[in-house]
Amino acid sequence: MYPENAKYTRDHEWIRADGDTYVVGITAFAAEQLGDVTYVELPSVGKTVEQGAATAAVESVKAASDVYAPVGGRVCAVNTALDSAPELVNQSPHEEGWFFKLENVDAAQLDGLMDAKAYEAFASASH
Amino acid sequence: MQRTPLYDEHLALGGKVVDFHGWALPVQFAGIVQEHTHTRTQASLFDCSHMGEFVVKGVDAIRAYAGLITSDLDALRVGRARYGLMLNDKGGIIDDIVTIRLADDELYVVTNAGPLEAVSGRICGAHAGCRDVSASTAKIDIQGPIARDILVRELPEAAELKYFEARRTHWQGSEIVLSRTGYTGEMGFELFVPADIAVDVWRRLLSHEGVAPAGLGARDTLRTEMGYSLSGQDFDESRTPLEASLDTFIAWNTEFVGKQALEAQKNAGGYDRLTAIRTGDRRSPRHEFEVQDGDARVGVVTSGTFGPSVGCGIGLAYLKPAYAVAGRTLTAGPKGLSIETAELPFYRQGTCRK
Repeated sequence: MYPENAKYTRDHEWIRADGDTYVVGITAFAAEQLGDVTYVELPSVGKTVEQGAATAAVESVKAASDVYAPVGGRVCAVNTALDSAPELVNQSPHEEGWFFKLENVDAAQLDGLMDAKAYEAFASASH
Repeated sequence: MQRTPLYDEHLALGGKVVDFHGWALPVQFAGIVQEHTHTRTQASLFDCSHMGEFVVKGVDAIRAYAGLITSDLDALRVGRARYGLMLNDKGGIIDDIVTIRLADDELYVVTNAGPLEAVSGRICGAHAGCRDVSASTAKIDIQGPIARDILVRELPEAAELKYFEARRTHWQGSEIVLSRTGYTGEMGFELFVPADIAVDVWRRLLSHEGVAPAGLGARDTLRTEMGYSLSGQDFDESRTPLEASLDTFIAWNTEFVGKQALEAQKNAGGYDRLTAIRTGDRRSPRHEFEVQDGDARVGVVTSGTFGPSVGCGIGLAYLKPAYAVAGRTLTAGPKGLSIETAELPFYRQGTCRK
């Protein structure tokens, strides 16, 4: 169910390599739990973040949540399509609904994240 | 958790069931925004069977009940419904209540699920002619611009009811109460039916084209767009009707529990007021966000959500009197969300009075 080419956090973010950078979003499980996403607050390009730092925020009709950086790095792009179409997070959480891209990441930190199979088990236990 | 007679129907329709005041109720089916929009454009069915209902029978019982609520029941004609409040002796709001006059000597009373035990104790304790029928009654609401067109196919007399009118009638031989009331701002009806026919009523109404089920989530966004305050969230026993901006539902010419305290508060003035707030973008204020004017705390948000039909964040907040007027720019919440005080309702195109 979850893409094999990504790694996953316990806060329900995904991260995958995209050329020299890493792209980050929230999982289908998180999007489903949030319900209809109505607003996404994106970070500034150029901002340097530590692993686990609140880097973006997502609001649904029901609630607001922070989105944390799965690994440390420098924000090099954000998905501005979410400004006018935050529903992309529900419609395509692992593709078009991505949040931001990181460069200069500490790749060793990726090793501590879950693979797709482990995340699937984690998410189903979170129900 | 307690289940309504429609619990299995909700599961079969894919409803996401949550705990609401101890009741297993669907928060959504297709999605809150979709259900909200469907209600504003077609018609939605809501299961409100968790709410409380009472029959007040006889002149003496009506007189005893009238002393418990802020409404002027002498002015309530047969076939009409009226919104009012039950207060404690300090003027705090125990619950908001809709009273229907079914006959000269009979009332039908609708209350919320949260404070039901306290409300039931007061009503049933007032007189032997007051009876709690909540357990045997299911409540199904059809709300939306086409609600009347749909309902008349099952109950032709629905066509005769004007806004806030109600009557006793029959569904396939079973006695029911039908009222043209609601909380969405749209043309709508509430059907109070015996629990054993709830599934039949639900399925028949749902079988019509243009009718879809909706959950608690859409109920909340719809009522917030109308600025209707929610029992237990926007007010409770710690707030009076004056603070909750419900002054218009106080019949000062009648006697009721809590009146003395209200009069004292009104004369003293200076109390907080529940006030409409909105954001300038898609971000939402949230329940318990503190409201600030610069560094000064001036209030607290009690309801906040994204308003799908108005396209921005909306809510209700208790604000100090100087701020309880439209057009004040303030901030709310830990991130200093910019908000503006506003007029109600947020949504003005509703069809409820058509």
